[in-house]
Amino acid sequence: MKVGLFIPCYINQLYPQVGKATIELLEKLKVDVVYPSGQTCCGQPMANSGYEYEGEGACHNFVNNFKDFDYIVTPSGSCAYHVKKHYDIIPQTEEVTKVRTNVYELCDFILNILKVKDLGASFPHKVGVHKSCHGLRGLRLGSCSEVVGPKFSYIEELLTEVKGVEIMPIKRGDECCGFGGTFAVTEEAVSVKMGKDKIKDHLESGVEVITATDTSCLMHLEGLVNRNKQPLKILHIAEILNSSL
Amino acid sequence: MSHSQLASIFNKDEKKVDWHDKALWFVRHKRDKSVHEVKNWEELRNLGHGIKAHMLSNLDVYLKEFEANANKNGVEVHWAANAEEHNQIVLKILQENNAKKIVKSKSMLTEECHLNPYLEAEGLEVIDTDLGERIVQLAKEPPSHIVLPAIHKNRHEVDELFQEHLGTKPCDGDPQYLTGEARKHLRQKFIEADAALTGVNFAIAETGGFVVCTNEGNADMGAHLAPVHIACMGVEKIIPRQEHLGVFLRLLARSATGQPVTTYSSHFKKPADGKKMHIIIVDNGRSEQLSRPDFRASLHCIRCGACMNTCPIYRRSGGHSYDATIPGPIGSILSPGKDLKQYSTLPFASTLCGSCSDVCPVKIDIHAQLYKWRQIITKETPQPFIKKKSMEIMGSIFAKPSQFETVGKIARWSLRSLPKSMINSKPNAWGKARDLPLGPKESFDDWYKNREANKTKND
Amino acid sequence: MSSRDHILNRINANKPELLTLPNIDASIFDAGLNVMAEFIKKVEVVGGNVLETTSNDAVISKVETIFPDAQIKYSTIAGTEAFNTLDLTTIKKSQDLEDLDILIIESDLAVAENGAVWVSDKQLPLRVLPFITKHLVLVVSKENVVPYMHQAYEKLSDTSGFGVFIAGPSKTADIEQSLVIGAHGALSLTIFVK
Repeated sequence: MKVGLFIPCYINQLYPQVGKATIELLEKLKVDVVYPSGQTCCGQPMANSGYEYEGEGACHNFVNNFKDFDYIVTPSGSCAYHVKKHYDIIPQTEEVTKVRTNVYELCDFILNILKVKDLGASFPHKVGVHKSCHGLRGLRLGSCSEVVGPKFSYIEELLTEVKGVEIMPIKRGDECCGFGGTFAVTEEAVSVKMGKDKIKDHLESGVEVITATDTSCLMHLEGLVNRNKQPLKILHIAEILNSSL
Repeated sequence: MSHSQLASIFNKDEKKVDWHDKALWFVRHKRDKSVHEVKNWEELRNLGHGIKAHMLSNLDVYLKEFEANANKNGVEVHWAANAEEHNQIVLKILQENNAKKIVKSKSMLTEECHLNPYLEAEGLEVIDTDLGERIVQLAKEPPSHIVLPAIHKNRHEVDELFQEHLGTKPCDGDPQYLTGEARKHLRQKFIEADAALTGVNFAIAETGGFVVCTNEGNADMGAHLAPVHIACMGVEKIIPRQEHLGVFLRLLARSATGQPVTTYSSHFKKPADGKKMHIIIVDNGRSEQLSRPDFRASLHCIRCGACMNTCPIYRRSGGHSYDATIPGPIGSILSPGKDLKQYSTLPFASTLCGSCSDVCPVKIDIHAQLYKWRQIITKETPQPFIKKKSMEIMGSIFAKPSQFETVGKIARWSLRSLPKSMINSKPNAWGKARDLPLGPKESFDDWYKNREANKTKND
Repeated sequence: MSSRDHILNRINANKPELLTLPNIDASIFDAGLNVMAEFIKKVEVVGGNVLETTSNDAVISKVETIFPDAQIKYSTIAGTEAFNTLDLTTIKKSQDLEDLDILIIESDLAVAENGAVWVSDKQLPLRVLPFITKHLVLVVSKENVVPYMHQAYEKLSDTSGFGVFIAGPSKTADIEQSLVIGAHGALSLTIFVK
């Protein structure tokens, strides 16, 4: 099984530690993982802003980088969702279809392809899970409260196995954090309010560390936590799963 | 004003935002509790979707069937191509019946057509009889929610409004007292009314009958007391058969408020002896929306308001921030079809979280349609130069890895080295309330390349 | 061209290809309800009361104990003429019913899943009656309570000129989401099952 690692643009530039944790974790799990050079972005920032066509170059670049892999794994539900859902703007060649079918968010890949639950990690902290919307409602990486059906959550299934982790229940477990790409800037007031409310929910539950499958949501929450000097640490799920504290 | 401008004004009063958010979250929570009790709820939604989709694909046939059956039942059917014609028809019927005092139950269609000011300009009295609608009518405001029209007003504001207009005593916002006073006030209006206007929730092609749902009983009080009943409906309110009501009445109230069904589900078919019943079927842009494959499913909407209650943006920006007859997620996919330029900011008033699509009882892919409207709006309406240019630049950077690397390096250096005051200066909306991440020295790319190089060295 | 033809032509031109109409298989929604228990529970959820009874006479005497101060009363159930203080034949217009205190009507259909009771022109001498009365009393036989709305519509092949499902007394939550029983319609609803 040949696995290509996709590291989203903002993780590459701003949160390299998330990329490192991801590749280390996959290597620990004996995955034959390669990070192809020449990666940029999946094209989502332009597309969600209404400039899908400006992202075409990014789509082609993505497909070229990953067309030869059996699986493409990324520490971002949002990017994986974008490739799956919105790569219909470029011609649907065999390569494009293959890439769209085989792209996986990290937790989904570990749990459902590798079929591993216990990663031997330990992390003695009270953790609050932020269920990023594109993963939750786009990729269905978990059940959400408004849908009637069996309850599940891939990220929590993996977290439960981490030694020392206490998953703290929060009141609105699947409410959006307010990041939303350019929404964070164009609708600044509502975006900030949503983020503040989300953080309050975690703080009131005694959470020490907020984690998620998506660094984009976390960047927004971290920005607020740092500005307001709140006692919270923000870590991507890969960092916790790769942890041996 | 754009949605974001109106939303930031609403957000100046954070306590009010919290209150508004909680009130609507409470309704969403009641909805969840109620639908989780229904066996195969998701299948019920599929049925709702399927029946509506079929209806749209055969709509002209069903409209004709409905008209023929309604005529047989002694109901007069009128057709209005647009809002103006709708208003003219209403006025003509009222004049023919010498009606001066009109009671109206909730109808978003008449809001869309701006019927009240039109009739008032003709010297007629139009009283909205749904309590929430009466409250906003007295306050001279449009409804801010399609099911809970006065959800933006707290009890003390209602108290003051009623003191001023209905002469009530100060009551510290006691809802029981205020509702009682409204009952007395509106009872008089019902008794005196010359004509009653209602909306239509469902019109059944097979029988020519139509159903109106209320909790207060105001539609029935109006329609059964006044000598003339005028019911206004958009073309998309048709359902093929009566048995389909079994599906839609199970979906509607649970999605709207969490009730198992509305208090009154009134089935009107024939006028009572000596009375008149009129139905006005209105297009007003609906047939055009039907022509758009990506957006026609928006016509499935049964006006339950669930997408508003679940929407984290609606809850924190208020219905008036949408400045449209139908606010919230569903309004944001309906309104651009009517006027792309005027409503161009609405599809961007979303994080595309997708909860609206998940609660929709007729499974409209609301968030997917928001995304699609965005693509059209940027092409067909004038966009800020900076936004357009930056997207173009981003697009070209992301298309070429070498450029991306250089730009990334500069960005990381800036975040690391420039003073915070400069990074968080005014043009950077991100930095108003949030810090930016500290730019790391090494990108993941750099780290990986070094690691691989070291590996080769060590081998 | 008339607006009618204009609208119909546009719809005909703009509609998608015909999609199939899904079939309703009511059995998939059947959770095996205890119909009476569910009915009683749901009537209470929607703000009404359920009482058991054996005869029309028993209904009348119970109603008289619940509403001792009622002045103007009207019933359509059989054999209770003595209860009526109102002669509908003297009522010239519906508005004259404004002071009606109590109305008793028999229904032949009710729904367990939502506590709704069907009343139509068949039982209503005047349509406004169940809305204008202060207190509404409905009488329904156990065998006429069906589990879901799907079964209700199987029985309702003809909804007559007017018919209504009534679930509880009138209510509103339009002032700050506070539930207030008694908006424009009846202030209370009592259901007798026999």
